[in-house]
Amino acid sequence: MAKGLDWAKRLYENRSQRAKELREEGKKVIGYICAFPPRELITAAGLVPYRITGTLEPIAEADAYLETLMCPYVRSCLDLGIKKQYDFVDGMIWPHTCDNIQKTFDIWKHYVPHSYFHYLDVPHMPDPSSFEFFAKELDVLKGSLEEFGGVKITEECLKEAIGVHNENRALLRQLTGLRKQAPPLISATEMTQVMMAAMSIPVYESNEMLKNIIEEVSTRKDGPQNKATRLLIYGCEIDDIAFINLVEECGANVVIDDLCMGTRDYWKDVVMEGDPLKNLAHRILGEIMCPRTFRRSRGTRQQDLDNRFSYIRDFAKEFNVNGAILYIIRYCDTFEFDAPEVRDYLEEAGIRVLHLEDDYSLTSIQGYKTRIQAFLEMIE
Amino acid sequence: MAFFAGIDVGSVTTKVVITRDSELTAYHVVPSGANYKMAAQKAMEEVLAKAGLSLKDIACIVATGYGASNADFATLKVTDISCCAKGVNHLFPSVRTVIDVGGQASKAIRVNEEGRSTNFVVSERCAAGSGRFLQIIARVLQIELGDVGPLSLQAKKPVIYTTSCAVFGESEAISRIAEGTPKEDILAGVHNAMALKIYSLISGVGLEEECAIAGGGALDVGLIKRLEEKLGVHLLVPPQPQIMAALGAALMAEERSLALAS
Repeated sequence: MAKGLDWAKRLYENRSQRAKELREEGKKVIGYICAFPPRELITAAGLVPYRITGTLEPIAEADAYLETLMCPYVRSCLDLGIKKQYDFVDGMIWPHTCDNIQKTFDIWKHYVPHSYFHYLDVPHMPDPSSFEFFAKELDVLKGSLEEFGGVKITEECLKEAIGVHNENRALLRQLTGLRKQAPPLISATEMTQVMMAAMSIPVYESNEMLKNIIEEVSTRKDGPQNKATRLLIYGCEIDDIAFINLVEECGANVVIDDLCMGTRDYWKDVVMEGDPLKNLAHRILGEIMCPRTFRRSRGTRQQDLDNRFSYIRDFAKEFNVNGAILYIIRYCDTFEFDAPEVRDYLEEAGIRVLHLEDDYSLTSIQGYKTRIQAFLEMIE
Repeated sequence: MAFFAGIDVGSVTTKVVITRDSELTAYHVVPSGANYKMAAQKAMEEVLAKAGLSLKDIACIVATGYGASNADFATLKVTDISCCAKGVNHLFPSVRTVIDVGGQASKAIRVNEEGRSTNFVVSERCAAGSGRFLQIIARVLQIELGDVGPLSLQAKKPVIYTTSCAVFGESEAISRIAEGTPKEDILAGVHNAMALKIYSLISGVGLEEECAIAGGGALDVGLIKRLEEKLGVHLLVPPQPQIMAALGAALMAEERSLALAS
């Protein structure tokens, strides 16, 4: 059995392996897309949460069902679904986070057979009434998972699941903390592999793997080299190492991210005291910093910008970065609309920004090499 | 006093420059063809012959351009964005915006007083607004690339192009030929479409005078005219616009040697 980073790397290269093994043993696997669905409820129902991702390989089947001007990430996920790559998944939870995900859910349901489907309605504004509504939505999800799993999710067992997932997030934050020093103890390429691995196995195993990795990298001698530039990467779904690896190969240490499969997923915990469903609702709707959630402007424009983006600036300061790359997947309107403001906001704070728009494919990523190099030459 | 060299292995041509004391000693341009490694080798040998030098006289070589990695004799690699900024700044120290129309892509670069790039935008992974578009249209119209500019200047009624995409642009040119539109009007239309594309690139970095144009595209007087109209500024054109990145690379080689020596 591989340990530590090697364990993560192997899982990254064969993501579904463990989930398939567990299914052989009689476990049920629940796929979910995006950072919003509450893994805690899936775990509490005795099911295995599994993050659905795409691939940078060319899309073959999905173009017959989706317009090519839709999010290439979602198209790629559907492509894998139609190609039966997610056969080992028993059920699916899709949230209404963006329109692409919402609309594709129905198409997925129609063309890819699973025995369980749940659509999670997530309000767009973090207002008091939204939290109330969303907590009820989570209660509906709880009921449906209980039915599918044939179990009763007691408050006690939900709290226990929340505790284990909080531990998972705490471990990921601890590992991220090891990137503050120069050189960082773990590269962003490795971190992406770890993240992908962590979302492919039951949370208990994930915690064990993360502890293992923290122990390994804390004392490692073969960590990343010190580079002249420290970077932050901002964007949405990066589920492949290709882009981040390219940036690191160009001569930078990528030391922090604001990504859906990065800090956005694990930076905030669920409060333990009080009603667990309300607390889950608060974390998901209130604390996942995704532009799909509309944070109503209050006060001055500067206050509005601070309200939406100051956490990115704080990341940049805390991790001592000299530049940021905004890596936006083409047709992701949610992120594209915010990108110019994020760019100006960071530049104002003295952080140089490179904005790249990508169509989520391997060939386009290689084409960014010169731009990344020129950006590094500019800020070195 | 030592000599320095910069080699820019571009998608269409390979350019090499030798400098001494920050002054141009010799330069040479060869087609890159389908073997960049051979082109780089050939360009280097021929420029050395021109200058009456041998490789050991060159203290440091910087390679740049799309195929920079093929110049394996170079000491280091720097991107053509930084090199182009450097080269143009050497000739025109007051220039703050550089347009580079290359064979593969067009770029808008902001340059500071030290000749460093402070911001840049590159045309997205396609030939829109690049020199390749001109090559394609020249082939469709069966004229020499060198005649594209002068012919375009004679246009009476430039056609309106709806695209700056090289592939759609080609079919659009063919449609106009079928309608009997004169070549010069088609060419002026192409230049307008390219100017619009480059204008939108420049909007990304902000146009600050003075503005210079480099790259092979700057040899095209038709494109320059349309760009000046669109941008509303006078464009400074270096005497050999296509060697600006190679010149910048040679100057960087010099700077690097000086830095190492001190």
